[in-house]
Amino acid sequence: MASVSLRNIRKNYTRDVTVIRDVSLDIDDGEFIVFVGPSGCGKSTMLRMIAGLEDITGGELYIGETLANDIHASKRGIAMVFQSYALYPHMSCAENMGFALKLAGTPKAEIDSRVQRAAEILEITHLLERKPKALSGGQRQRVAIGRAIVRNPKVFLFDEPLSNLDAALRLNMRVELSKLHQELQTTMIYVTHDQVEAMTLADRIVVFHAGLIQQVGSPLDLYENPSNLFVAGFLGSPKMNLLAGVMLECGDGLASLSLQQGMIVSARCNASHLRVHDKVTMGIRPEHIRLVSADTAGALAAQVDLIEHLGDVVLAYIEIPGIHEVLCMKLPGSAPALAYGDRIHIAFPPEHVLLFDHEGNALPRLPA
Amino acid sequence: MPSRKHVHAMLHTGAHYTSLILFALFTTFPFIWALSSGLSGDASHMYLFPDGFWPHEATLDWFARVFREMPFTTYLKNSTILAFFTIAGVVAVSVLAGYPLARMKFPGRGLVFVAIIATMMLPSEVGIVPNFITLKHFGDAAAALQGTLGLGPDWNLREWIGLNSYFGAIVPNVAGAFGIFLMKQAFEQIPQDLIDAARVDGANEMQILWKVMVPVTGPSIAALAIFTLVSAWNDYLWPSLVMNSKEKMPLAVGVFNDLTGPFATSDNILMAAIVLTVIPVLVFFAFTQRYFISGMDGAVK
Ligand SMILES: Nc1ncnc2c1ncn2[C@@H]1O[C@H](COP(=O)(O)OP(=O)(O)O)[C@@H](O)[C@H]1O
Ligand SMILES: [Mg+2]
Repeated sequence: MASVSLRNIRKNYTRDVTVIRDVSLDIDDGEFIVFVGPSGCGKSTMLRMIAGLEDITGGELYIGETLANDIHASKRGIAMVFQSYALYPHMSCAENMGFALKLAGTPKAEIDSRVQRAAEILEITHLLERKPKALSGGQRQRVAIGRAIVRNPKVFLFDEPLSNLDAALRLNMRVELSKLHQELQTTMIYVTHDQVEAMTLADRIVVFHAGLIQQVGSPLDLYENPSNLFVAGFLGSPKMNLLAGVMLECGDGLASLSLQQGMIVSARCNASHLRVHDKVTMGIRPEHIRLVSADTAGALAAQVDLIEHLGDVVLAYIEIPGIHEVLCMKLPGSAPALAYGDRIHIAFPPEHVLLFDHEGNALPRLPA
Repeated sequence: MPSRKHVHAMLHTGAHYTSLILFALFTTFPFIWALSSGLSGDASHMYLFPDGFWPHEATLDWFARVFREMPFTTYLKNSTILAFFTIAGVVAVSVLAGYPLARMKFPGRGLVFVAIIATMMLPSEVGIVPNFITLKHFGDAAAALQGTLGLGPDWNLREWIGLNSYFGAIVPNVAGAFGIFLMKQAFEQIPQDLIDAARVDGANEMQILWKVMVPVTGPSIAALAIFTLVSAWNDYLWPSLVMNSKEKMPLAVGVFNDLTGPFATSDNILMAAIVLTVIPVLVFFAFTQRYFISGMDGAVK
C-alpha cells in the first residue's frame, strides 16, 4: 500500500500537443480516488503515466516516498485493470491471475493459494480452469480484477473497467468494487467518464477537463459547491440549470441579479468583488426549483413543455416566457399532476442559487 | 409439395457442393493419378483417360521396389533434417524481425520494411549463383581452418558449412520476406492493452515476446511452419545444386535422380515414390491443422 503524489505533471505526445498541462495532486494511502471528465480530457493518459506505460514529459511522480518517473512499469508494484480486460487468451483464468507471481518467481504452491483466495473473494473459483474465450464479459472482468488482486499491489489502477458491461452488470460490479475496497483498504485510482460511477465509488473525485484538474473533493462537496461552471454542469443528472444574467446588487449579504426580461433572482452568495451590471451565470439544480402559488414573493411564471414520470420522481421541463432556455425541475412522484401546456409558478430559493462570474468561477456561498 | 423457398435453398446448397467437389477434384487429380498408377500391376492403362484414374490389377509391388531400388529412408531422413531446420530458422528469423517492425519505434523502421518487401520482387533464382559462390568460399575457408588447426582429414569441415552441407542447403532459405511480413502483420493485430497488461504484470520485453506475443500469434506461426514445410519439402533446384552426394540428398532430388532419365525402370515406380514423398506432409498436416483455428478470441472485449 502506498500514497501517490503528482507534482506539476505534464504530458506532450508531440511537441505541440499537450494532453496534461499541470497536474498536482496528493492521493492518500488507502484512498479510493476517481478521475472523471469527458472523453479525451487526458484521464487515461494520466493513469498510464502513473502505471509507467507512458513517459512523463515534466513534473514528478511519487509512489510512496519513491520518485517513480523513471521506474519501469514492471517494477512499480502497481496493478492495472483495463477497459478491454486484456486477458492473455492462451492461458487459463488461473494462469492469467498467477502470471505476475510466476514472473516474480513465487513458489508454485503460494501462487496456487493466492489465486484460490482471490478467486474466492470474486466468486470465480469454478471458472479457474477455463480459457478467457469461454467466459462472459462480466466474468472476464472479474478475472481481470482477480489478476490485479493476486499481486497485493501498492496501488490499483482502473481504466473505465465497467464500460463494456451492460447496465445491470455495471451496477452490480460497482457495488462489488466498493466492497473490495472496504476489504483490501488499498489505494485505488479509478478512471471513468461516468459521473454516476464517480459519485458512488469515490472517497474523493478529481474532475479533469482539457488536461487540467478542475476541482478535487468529496462527491457531495463537488455536487453542492462546484468551483466552476464546468464542474457544475458535469456532475449531476439531470444537469444543473444555468441561466445568464447581470448583477443588480453586489454587497456581501444577499446578492441579486436580473435575468432577461427583468426577472429578479436572489442568491446567498458573496458577490462583493463584482460590480453592478457585471455579467454572471446563475445555476440551480433541478431538485431545488420550487413549485409555488402565483402570489408568492419572487414567483416566476412558467409553462410546462414536457413531463417525464420516472416512478419515484417526476421530471418537468419548463420554459419561462422570454427566456429561451428549457429548465429541468425534479419533483417528488407524489407531486400534483402536471401536463403539457400547464401554466405554473416557480421560485429559486436563494440558498440554493449558485453564481458564476464571467470567467466561470463560482462565487463563495454564504452560510444560511 | 416443397415450397419455392425450400427448392431455392436446396439448389443453393447443391451448387455449393458441386463447385467444391469440382475444385477438390481439380486440385487432387495429379495425386489420384499418381496413386492409381503406383497401385497398378498392369501399367498399360496409365496414360488412358479415364482408365488411368483407378488401379488395374492392384498391387503394392511398386511401393516395395521403391525401397529396394533407391535409398528411400536416407532421402527421407535428409528431407526431414532440411525441413525441420528450415522451419526452425524461418520461424526464429520471422518472429525476431517481425516483432520490432510491428511494435518498436526506431528511426528507419519504414525503410527497413520496404527493403525487406522489395526482395519479394526478385525471383528467388537470382540468388543461386551468388549463394553458390559464397558457399564454395565458406567451404574453402573451413578447409583452410581445418589445415591451420591441424585436424585430421576425416573432420572434413568443408562439408559442414560449404557445398554438400546441410547448412548450405538450409541457410539461404531461412531469411524470407514472406515470413517476416506474415509475422509483422500478426504482431500488429495484437491489442496494445495485452502488451501493457504484461508490462504491468512485471514482464520485460523479452518475456513479453516469448510468453505473450509468440503464444498469441501461434496460429500464424503454425501457418508459417506449414508453408515452410511444404516449400522446403518440395524444394528441388537449390538442394540439387548444393548436395552432390547421395547420402545428403533430400527426397525431391533423390527421386528425380534415381527414377527418371534414360535408365529409369518404369513410370509406375516413379509414381509410387512420389506418393511416398507426399504422405509425410499430409500426415503432418492432418495432425497440426487444429492449431490454425484457435486465435485471439477472449483476449479483449
Ligand atoms: N498515443 C497517443 N499519441 C497522440 N495522442 C494521443 C495518444 N494517446 C492519446 N492521445 C490524445 O490525448 C488526449 C487524451 O487521451 P486520453 O488520455 O485517452 O483521454 P481519456 O482517457 O480522458 O478519454 C486525446 O485527445 C487523445 O487524442
Ligand atoms: Mg480513456
